[in-house]
Amino acid sequence: MSAPLPKRIIKETERLQNEPVPGISAQPHDDNARYFDVMVEGPGGSCYEGGVFNLELFLPDDYPMCPPRIRFLTRIYHPNIDRLGRICLDVLKNNWSPALQIRTILLSIQALLGAPNPEDPLNEAVAKQWKENQSEAIETAREWTKLYAQKN
Amino acid sequence: MKFGHEYEQVLASEGFPEQWLNSAIDYKYLKKCIKKVHRQLLALGLDGETLSHLSGWVEQPDFKVKPLQHHDYYSAAQPDLNTISEEFTPQLRILVDAQTGQPLDATLTPETKATLQGLAQHEMILAGRKEHLGTRIEPVDESESGSDSHGTPKDRVSSITELPADARWVQVPLASAQRFFDLLAPKLEDLEALRAAETRKLEEEILDLGDAVENVVEPVREGFEAKREISYRDLYFWREMFRLYLESPIFYSESEQNRGPLTFAKAKERLEAYDKQLRETGLLSKMKTPAARQAAKQFLDLNVDILKIMHFQEVNARAMVKILKKFDKQTHLEGRLFLKSLRDKYPELVPPEGSKKIVPSGFANSIARDLHAEIASKILAIVPQLDDWNCPVCYAMAWRPVSLGCCRSVFCIRCIIKLQDEGMKRCPCCNKETVMSADGRNIDFETMDFLEKYFPLEVKRRQKENEKAQLVRDYGEEFVKPSCTVM
Ligand SMILES: [Zn+2]
Ligand SMILES: [Zn+2]
Repeated sequence: MSAPLPKRIIKETERLQNEPVPGISAQPHDDNARYFDVMVEGPGGSCYEGGVFNLELFLPDDYPMCPPRIRFLTRIYHPNIDRLGRICLDVLKNNWSPALQIRTILLSIQALLGAPNPEDPLNEAVAKQWKENQSEAIETAREWTKLYAQKN
Repeated sequence: MKFGHEYEQVLASEGFPEQWLNSAIDYKYLKKCIKKVHRQLLALGLDGETLSHLSGWVEQPDFKVKPLQHHDYYSAAQPDLNTISEEFTPQLRILVDAQTGQPLDATLTPETKATLQGLAQHEMILAGRKEHLGTRIEPVDESESGSDSHGTPKDRVSSITELPADARWVQVPLASAQRFFDLLAPKLEDLEALRAAETRKLEEEILDLGDAVENVVEPVREGFEAKREISYRDLYFWREMFRLYLESPIFYSESEQNRGPLTFAKAKERLEAYDKQLRETGLLSKMKTPAARQAAKQFLDLNVDILKIMHFQEVNARAMVKILKKFDKQTHLEGRLFLKSLRDKYPELVPPEGSKKIVPSGFANSIARDLHAEIASKILAIVPQLDDWNCPVCYAMAWRPVSLGCCRSVFCIRCIIKLQDEGMKRCPCCNKETVMSADGRNIDFETMDFLEKYFPLEVKRRQKENEKAQLVRDYGEEFVKPSCTVM
């Protein structure tokens, strides 16, 4: 039998349900309350606008002493997200603080979609393209969004 | 149901005090006034179609309403009004051909029309007025084109020459329109005064109730130690009562998506739901002391009173918006100046120009916002809520409370120990490297006293948990498992 769910996770889940963040949803699995299906809408004005991105999020036993594990399931063309959907984001690594929450992390990820950072790349190929021909890279990101990130 | 009828019914059936009703907008009578304006215009041969046809050649009446713009009557900026200080009547001015009595646009050739179209309209009006009155008039600048209207005299003369020599402004007094605005304007003053007075009264009530609540829930007052058990229990009932209130505040939405004052209908719905919750949980009947029960009843009554004045103000604001729309529609005279002065004076009441959205709740809006804030700070804040004293790491009560000294955050001692065990050096809230140096001296005794006083049950529970956790840390998981406790 697994240990009872910490109060913190219960409260975070409750709040995500009762006061959802606009453009973001996180639904825990019935059989594993530490595993969430996440949906993030591409921010308006970005090349991911109109896209709906699915992610998976897992809270390790040590949470919140360590950050949640999270990755994109939907394919996305972004210099800080690799082909496996892993995300390069400081708050998910060295800058994690136990005072951060699922909510704030998902907001950071949404913000990352709005402001790709090719100077700190995870996906070298995409970052290269982004630096060398930004308008083309943005166009590709738009196409991928249309191709892979549509609702249903 | 027609609004007029609905309005009368609300005023008659909601038990509003007589004094409020005296300030209510007289919708029926104003409607009659509009009919009179309409008839008066018809008698002049100015039906809606003609008026809108003439639009460029008709100067809108000046809706100067005494209580709102009293000083404007004597203002040097509008010299043509100097002569009509007391008995001012809005006037519709139409430029007509003095020979034929025809409005000018009907007699103008298409060529002349085209030439004149190029000229600024107010320039024309000023020029025409100047010629007619034969007095020197500074331009009255209602439009944005301030510099244009101060153009050289030569410019102005040239625009006069474009006018046919026998053009004359005909002034049509509209006494009925004046009556309409004379009736409406003081009502708005009354409604505003009523809002201010009722808000003050309710704020007093809130302060009194705050005192009462403080008396009831103060857990360890000097000399009342014997009663401590009782007031502890009442403290918990009050906390739950307020927690439910905070979860869904009656008059104001705190949610991220739509923050702001609620409408009467929504507030009413919330108050009914809250009342139901209180009855279902039996919170009121569980209270031990008569003083506590009395204060709880007072709290509910206060909310009902706020709702009532909101209702009254909101229905009046709706009446005002409706009647102004009716005025526009039936008379084809825009009450623009009137609305403008309203907007300056009561920004709450009239939405900004260009905004299609009508805020129907009027003064009710500020009542809802102001009193929500008062209740929150003067009553609800008296009973601390557990959520405000949670450790930002584990979300349980911050017991024993530890301050790292870098910021105002208070953590529970267990989380700080955990952070130290994990070698996480930075304060979770402000990122300063203060975790490793924390020790017994960082225990926040002031907060500890406070928590023991207001959350005695939670403190006891956390204390037990902490002791167990300490044993686990010192001797390992096995030591505290039920099977191993046979000692
Ligand atoms: Zn803690
Ligand atoms: Zn700090």
